[in-house]
Amino acid sequence: MVENRPLADLVSHAILILGVAIVAFPVYLALVASSSDPTTIANGQLGLLPEGHLFENYWKVLFEGTERSTKQPMIVPLFNSLVMALIISTGKIAISLISAFAIIYFRFPFRHTAFWVIFITLMLPVEVRIYPTYKIVADLGLLNTYAGLTIPLIASATATLLFRQFFMTVPDELLEASKIDGAGPWMFFKDTLLPLSMTSIAAMFVIQFIYGWNQYLWPLLITTSDDMQTIVIGIQKMLYVTDALTEWQLAMATTILAMLPPVVVVVLMQKLFVKGLTETEK
Amino acid sequence: MAEVALSAVGKIYAGSVPAVKDITFAVPDGGFCVLVGPSGCGKSTLLRMIAGLETITMGEVSIGNRVVNRVEPMDRDIAMVFQNYALYPHMSVYDNMAYGLRNRKTPEPEIAARVAEAARILELEPYLKRRPRELSGGQRQRVAMGRAIVRKPQVFLFDEPLSNLDAKLRGAMRVEIKKLQRQLGVTAIYVTHDQLEAMTLADMLVVMNQGVVEQIGDPLTLYERPATTFVAQFIGAPPMNMIELSPGAAPPPGLDGVQSLPVPPAGALLGIRPEHLAVSADGEPPITDRPGDVDLDLTIDAVEAVGAETYLHGRLGGVGQSFTAREHGKMLLPPGTTRRFIARREHLHLFDAATGRRIEARS
Ligand SMILES: Nc1ncnc2c1ncn2[C@@H]1O[C@H](COP(=O)(O)OP(=O)(O)OP(=O)(O)O)[C@@H](O)[C@H]1O
Ligand SMILES: [Mg+2]
Repeated sequence: MVENRPLADLVSHAILILGVAIVAFPVYLALVASSSDPTTIANGQLGLLPEGHLFENYWKVLFEGTERSTKQPMIVPLFNSLVMALIISTGKIAISLISAFAIIYFRFPFRHTAFWVIFITLMLPVEVRIYPTYKIVADLGLLNTYAGLTIPLIASATATLLFRQFFMTVPDELLEASKIDGAGPWMFFKDTLLPLSMTSIAAMFVIQFIYGWNQYLWPLLITTSDDMQTIVIGIQKMLYVTDALTEWQLAMATTILAMLPPVVVVVLMQKLFVKGLTETEK
Repeated sequence: MAEVALSAVGKIYAGSVPAVKDITFAVPDGGFCVLVGPSGCGKSTLLRMIAGLETITMGEVSIGNRVVNRVEPMDRDIAMVFQNYALYPHMSVYDNMAYGLRNRKTPEPEIAARVAEAARILELEPYLKRRPRELSGGQRQRVAMGRAIVRKPQVFLFDEPLSNLDAKLRGAMRVEIKKLQRQLGVTAIYVTHDQLEAMTLADMLVVMNQGVVEQIGDPLTLYERPATTFVAQFIGAPPMNMIELSPGAAPPPGLDGVQSLPVPPAGALLGIRPEHLAVSADGEPPITDRPGDVDLDLTIDAVEAVGAETYLHGRLGGVGQSFTAREHGKMLLPPGTTRRFIARREHLHLFDAATGRRIEARS
């Protein structure tokens, strides 16, 4: 598309800018709100320019907590969410890599059955199997633990399917060359398959990290104690307070904080991520 | 170094017809064996069974007097060069060559020495740090060779290693491979469907067809005394001319001197190579016809001159079967002319029409 049509350029840029504005404006507003003081918001006098309470608000939210409602420093749920997202994403990738490896490269009884069983779990996300899963986690005594928070979310087929698909495109000769070069299955996995999968792994990591970070329903059920709370629930608790005004400036600061880690992950992985979705290194 | 012996080797892929049947031959220590045959005849299958990449359904494969049917590829002491090279895309040229040695716990200084040696022989020294995708096809091919030679294996296995290269490079690499193999004295088994490669590389040529061996021998024997019509037509380019002869019946018009041939009751196929159809050039005295020679009157309908030689295509007696003759130099006969071509009796090949086997009658 190396066309030179100024009007078309102008229109398409206008549309793009409008789109960006629609997405970005609320975020900007949240940023402005997080820099104001409570009375400004309560009186509906929030302007379009940031005010001077930015640092103060963020400090308060991170290390002291809100005035009236939960009274909990948000650093704890932020940390919990980070741990949860990391465990979910790395756990999923590790398990999926290994199961895709088994399905593609090993001939064992009921291999196809195994694949279809994994495939069927696609139709059973946590929301569908929530009661039995809750019961199991509760019976195992895993309520209010990282294990209970993450393991049920790790078990899913999407990543397995992706890696299976990728492994099928790896030429058989590479496996055969490895065999002749004296590499056993584990070494083939480690020395050849893993390095070749790096871009897919990065893409999967980004997707799963965000998936883990944004979990709401499951953490809501599984965590009851404050020190196991995740950030999404933290925000929710801030918004709905009884017998008091919502402290919007703090809620917005928390929101902004909650948006940061996924952004960081995306930015760091961007190069690999885009590559993983579009091309393969073979 | 080692002898590779196959005895009654067969392969049946799960639930299908046999891909390879009852193959027995032995490649002597240091020998260069070429497996040749049309696509799908089982060459790769046989090679992969020797490599250990495919299970052996029947028979025995031994390398250096050791039966290797149940031995893992890495323990067979072989190296293989694949058609698409199968280089590790994420490793440098150096690491590609070193990988097999590292897996065998070779000390790192020894690895460095061997890789340096291979890189020197294959002229890969400037590329050791590059990834395979930053190399040309010919360079990748040499890396694949390097990966095979650093290991100092007992046997080299090649599966159409040159078929992804252009014609010129292929010619050059062919010479390289032969030189390298001689120099290292390693037994080699080489699969190809290119008969030029087959003829030039082989000490021992194995012609396969539909999973069975048609003939084994040195290339010139196969050229001079093909055992079957298949070999006769497969070896040599353009392929051998074949004409049917029935006992008793008169030969087709334009064909003389076939009465004395020992045609069996079922009929025979007379084979004459294009290069053995002689015709005298304009102004030269006609070729003398000796007893037992076969004469063909061909009416030329196409002429292909490639410089050093000329291919003449003509019909027997003007309307009969088409023949190809291959003459030295320029022989630009205008289409429509009829000439007498002579094939010497020692250049005639006679095959049983029923079995396709060679009839050895003349001395
Ligand atoms: N994995 C397989 N499963 C079933 N049949 C196979 C398999 N591999 C090869 N075959 C069959 O075995 C026969 C021989 O195949 P092979 O690959 O040995 O042929 P080839 O002589 O190497 O041919 P080409 O010159 O095309 O490489 C073919 O008919 C092929 O269809
Ligand atoms: Mg093949």
